[in-house]
Amino acid sequence: MAQVYFDDVKEGQDIPTLEKTPTNRTLVQWAGASGDFFELHYDKEFAKTMGYPNVLVHGRLEAAYLTQLLTDWAGEKGVVKKMSVQYRGNAFPGQKLLIKGKVTKKYQKDNENIVELEIFVENPEGQKITPGSAIIALPKK
Amino acid sequence: MTTDSRKFAKTLDEVKTYLGKKREESMEIDGTVIRAYCECIGDPNPMWKDTAPPGLVTTAMISSGAMLIGVPLLYKRSVAGGADWEFFKPIKKGDTIHTSHEFSELQEKASDKGPRLLMVYKSSHKNQKGELVAISTNTIMNY
Repeated sequence: MAQVYFDDVKEGQDIPTLEKTPTNRTLVQWAGASGDFFELHYDKEFAKTMGYPNVLVHGRLEAAYLTQLLTDWAGEKGVVKKMSVQYRGNAFPGQKLLIKGKVTKKYQKDNENIVELEIFVENPEGQKITPGSAIIALPKK
Repeated sequence: MTTDSRKFAKTLDEVKTYLGKKREESMEIDGTVIRAYCECIGDPNPMWKDTAPPGLVTTAMISSGAMLIGVPLLYKRSVAGGADWEFFKPIKKGDTIHTSHEFSELQEKASDKGPRLLMVYKSSHKNQKGELVAISTNTIMNY
């Protein structure tokens, strides 16, 4: 993937979208890798007792997808400095999730070339289930 | 068999007694840890050979330990509310990351659906040289 440079970034531009379809297998892998064994993410009967029709995709897995969106775009010379997310909706295994971002601001501060982004996970109904924001430092040409 | 691994408190005061409680943990970041993370999320980027992706500290193995502080819940339903992370240095293969988690804040909120608690956990992550590599905040909503 070609390196993105601060000079070429425009406020309002979309960054390349990632597509992810986490499955039950992904959730089990995530539980093992992350140490989060909360039953809500692998036991359907338990999920039903909490009022959900199925197990839920871990919010942190969605956040992991968002970090990948940022590192893919920032490239080898870019640095992800900050990221924040709010978990507002639910994602279920088998759903195709779109991981998206848009540049909201660019400026120079303390000798760094800073880009601010709006980021979010979009479910198949087009809802922004996990909105957030991020700050990245990019190289200059 | 369906299990429920959570602990419950009888009163809000009981939850409050956990405020300020901490837990420390350490993790060696070897190639297996980085590979397991990248394989799970589907990130084949060749950058992640000797450097760990930032998502590793923010979302994966390292920050889930906050739950091990064992703060009991007051209400039946609990979900992650939000989180933020600040990254100061990359984590390299071979690093040992020492994390300190703290149950730092408890907010009571009223909503249409009844009372809810916001439980805030703050974590700091240092490498074996004592350098701060990241800080993170996770909020759990209990209702």
